[in-house]
Amino acid sequence: MTTTENTGAPDYNLRLYVAGQTPKSVAAIANLKKLCERHLAGRYNVQVIDLMKDPALAQRDQIVAIPTLIRQLPEPMKRVIGDLSNSDRVLVGLDIEPVAAPGTEA
Amino acid sequence: LSDHDADDELRKLTQPLPDAEETVRAIYHGAVDAVVVQGPRGPQIVTLKGSEEPYRILVDRMTEGALTVGRDGTILFANRRLAQMSGRPADGIAGRHLGEFVTEPFAELMRHWLDFPPDKAVRHEVLMRRADGSHFPALLWVGAIVLDQLPALLITATDLTAQKQSEQIAAAEQFVRSILEQASDAIIVCDRAGRVTHASWAAQELIGDAAIGTRFVEALPLSGVETGADKAVTPVLDAGTIVDRLLGGQSMRNIEMRVLTPRRTDGFFLLNGGPLLDSQHMTVGCIVTLTDITERRRAEEKQTILVAELNHRVKNILAIVRAVATQTLVRSSSLSAFKEAFDGRLKALSLAHDILTSIRWGRVELDTLVEESLAPYRAAGSAPRITTDGPRVLLPTRTVVPLSMVLHELATNAAKYGALSVERGNLEVRWGVVERGSGHWVELRWVECDGPPTDAPVKEGFGTKLIRRSVSYDLDGQADLSFAADGLKGTLAFPIPEDPAHATASLAAAGRR
Repeated sequence: MTTTENTGAPDYNLRLYVAGQTPKSVAAIANLKKLCERHLAGRYNVQVIDLMKDPALAQRDQIVAIPTLIRQLPEPMKRVIGDLSNSDRVLVGLDIEPVAAPGTEA
Repeated sequence: LSDHDADDELRKLTQPLPDAEETVRAIYHGAVDAVVVQGPRGPQIVTLKGSEEPYRILVDRMTEGALTVGRDGTILFANRRLAQMSGRPADGIAGRHLGEFVTEPFAELMRHWLDFPPDKAVRHEVLMRRADGSHFPALLWVGAIVLDQLPALLITATDLTAQKQSEQIAAAEQFVRSILEQASDAIIVCDRAGRVTHASWAAQELIGDAAIGTRFVEALPLSGVETGADKAVTPVLDAGTIVDRLLGGQSMRNIEMRVLTPRRTDGFFLLNGGPLLDSQHMTVGCIVTLTDITERRRAEEKQTILVAELNHRVKNILAIVRAVATQTLVRSSSLSAFKEAFDGRLKALSLAHDILTSIRWGRVELDTLVEESLAPYRAAGSAPRITTDGPRVLLPTRTVVPLSMVLHELATNAAKYGALSVERGNLEVRWGVVERGSGHWVELRWVECDGPPTDAPVKEGFGTKLIRRSVSYDLDGQADLSFAADGLKGTLAFPIPEDPAHATASLAAAGRR
């Protein structure tokens, strides 16, 4: 699954590795979607890779635990492991400048 | 190496470290639920125990018991409900043998299923064993599964105790209702507070179906009675005392009771009762049975009266027979004459009794008595020589025997010497009811004509004497007999009770014939 929210080249190229429909996998997909729309609107591309279908793909990014999110671009590559439910930790891990919540002073 | 290159190299060396840390942290915090392991044919995905946890919680919290059993019969897992059912701590089941939880026939079946797993889930009702050794009924679903590549059984258990109890209660209730519906006696069941909880059909007839739920003493006002030698009935027990005694554990047997309800005010009942005990032999109420003996009592009273009446009549008849025998013997010229006269008079007595018996000692119609008495003299095929006529008159029972004897004497006399002794003779018997003083009298005219010439007998025979005596003493009336040249002419007059029903009957039938 690839999501591109941009007509030109995206700033953020992300890969999410999941294992079928495990609870953490399902949660990770949902949490990432919310986070990207909030903080990276129009600037990201997400690819979801289901390792249950093709375990060999784990080798490419040396995945050991699922779910794992990889920031491919911009360099350097970064990884966040878990269901992405703690959005602050994810933003720090991916080095993303958070967008202020609506109605708050920047 | 330039500083830049050195920094870059260091960064590459240290790079895996934060990633590994991140991985450990994530697993430690339960943030992952699958891992990639290296298998002989490349990477494999293994979902972690963490992913089973929700299901484990689900199973542990469900309302049915659940357990898995390994090949040797060892329980591998049991949920909280199963522990609760079997009276053991939640962690006190895994590792025990299944045989401790089910009774032997089923344990045997389980062993068979572990060797030969059933194709699909099998349903079985069993007795399960608690830690304290007691048993409870349970419904088991047994299915075969594979755990760690070994056959195992997955069992869910539903405790049927409550269901069985309610089934038993419903069955017992139905059983009781069937008895109460069929019973012909009034059966009333009360609770501990003396309130009516059940009433048989007969009891509802007595107290009304609205009585269920009301207090027994209000539903059924009754009092025990004692019947004395003088037949006087005295109350000895009331409903309140009866219920108190029964609830106190006493039994009561065959106590004669009077019931006074709006529906029954005249009944006599036999009361039997006792406490209603539960399985612990505690009194939880009482049962009262009332057998209606009103009819039986009436029949007994009637029988007593009838026996006394019969004794009286037998004595009377024996006295009559004795008098007839004595008098006939005195007046008879020969033994054969005695035999003939005595036999005829006994037949007249017998006839009167036949009539009385046929109408069960009730009232007899004069018409019937006259016709029966004259029947032997109505010769078949010959011209009617006997004419009878009169209104319907109901005779009191006590007049039947004497009047029958009188008619017999008159007819015998006519057949021997009077109008019925010759071909051309005629006999007319006519009667009516007249008022004399303040009462009603029957006047019966006996007129013979065209008989052989006769003279008044020089000596009054027993027949004539019997007629006069019977009419005057037994019927309280008068007999007026005159011997004319062509036959006897006489009038018998006797009073009958002034009875409106009888008077109406007489008037209604006055125009008959």
